[in-house]
Amino acid sequence: MSLGTLLRVALGELERAVMAQLWSAEEPLTVRDVHDRLERELAYTTVMTVLGRLAKKGLVRQERDGKAYRYAAASSREQMAAELMLDALGDVGEDRTAALVAFVDRVGPAEVEALRRALDTPAQGTPRPADRSPES
Amino acid sequence: MASVWLTGLALVLAGPVPALLARARWTRSVPRAAIVLWQSVAIAAVLAAVGSALAAPEALLRAFFHPEERTGLALAVAVGVAAVLAGLIVARLVVVLVLLAVRTRVRRARHRDMIDLLARAEEVDAGGSLRAGTVLRVLDGAVPFAYCVPGRVGSEGRVVVTGAALQTLCPKELRAVIAHEQAHLAARHDLVREGFTALHRAFPVIVRSREARDAVALLLEMLADDAGRRRVGDDAMAGALDAFASSDRAGYGPDVVERLERIRSCVHGGRALAVGTYLAAVALVVVPTITIVIPWLTDALPTVGVR
Repeated sequence: MSLGTLLRVALGELERAVMAQLWSAEEPLTVRDVHDRLERELAYTTVMTVLGRLAKKGLVRQERDGKAYRYAAASSREQMAAELMLDALGDVGEDRTAALVAFVDRVGPAEVEALRRALDTPAQGTPRPADRSPES
Repeated sequence: MASVWLTGLALVLAGPVPALLARARWTRSVPRAAIVLWQSVAIAAVLAAVGSALAAPEALLRAFFHPEERTGLALAVAVGVAAVLAGLIVARLVVVLVLLAVRTRVRRARHRDMIDLLARAEEVDAGGSLRAGTVLRVLDGAVPFAYCVPGRVGSEGRVVVTGAALQTLCPKELRAVIAHEQAHLAARHDLVREGFTALHRAFPVIVRSREARDAVALLLEMLADDAGRRRVGDDAMAGALDAFASSDRAGYGPDVVERLERIRSCVHGGRALAVGTYLAAVALVVVPTITIVIPWLTDALPTVGVR
């Protein structure tokens, strides 16, 4: 494995760990919160970088709270899993964009329907941005 | 005369030829050559359409004006109309292709990000089916499913299988599926599909671009099946297809039936058929250029003052 690959693997693992903390948290966390919860020998700035990367990818929401930023997962783990499978299963028929190449096209739309429903029911604790009213 | 020939060629290549080629059975024994032939048909059709758009105004000019009158305004209008017609065809194709390419890459990047976060941490033994530069990811999921997400240049592609797929497949079948997906990634089959998807989006109704897109998609699957067969064997590849298709409540899709039949009847392409198909593909692009376009250019360019 090259150094670049090793670094990428390590970074990927770190992103997963940070995401796990955000998912298990009741409320948005500051960088310090995430750093403390991770319980490993990590520089504060490393955690900040990882959170910044996740925010840039649109997987984490960043909100201003006084002087600090707080971070929350953009969607729950279940919603993200449903979105992922929907993206994969939905790339057939007329919607096909060749973004993914499936081994066998799932002809039955039943799974896609079930996943759409799963996505439409918001999970407890993590309000999706689209669900929030304009006033809030 | 050239404009009549080019228009006729464009019509034939956009209608009857794709219809026939989509229904042909011999293509499945030489999928690689057949895909090249499809690409050649598509390129020749677009070139003929652009050529006829360019040539038609000049032909009208010749038909209705005396040689001495073919100057000034009449000539300017003819050249302008030709340029606009040809430009419309090319611009439509380019715009659709660029938009599709951008959206596809954004969607893939997001998909890869989410997979990396959600995949199970455990390693699966790919049995040497994965080459360097590809990552295998296992997702929790009740639907047996396998697919690949091409990476960007310099970043890894992902082969994704669901937990249900791992339970459904025996180790040899899993290796066959991974080899199949790896073949898609290594040979950049996604780029071929993208081209035909763009062609269909740009010219959806009049021409038989949907047949082309779907036929090419199936041929690419067959090509990847062959990679799996070479690596793991016919039985494992067929077994994997069977396992996936029979787990689907909707049953076997027609494409899966064709792929299964093809593996079980041990279809292997003759070298002669493949060579003939490649030659036809080259001829489709080269022959019209030599017999129609070059004589027309030598004839028409002096009219507009180019010598």
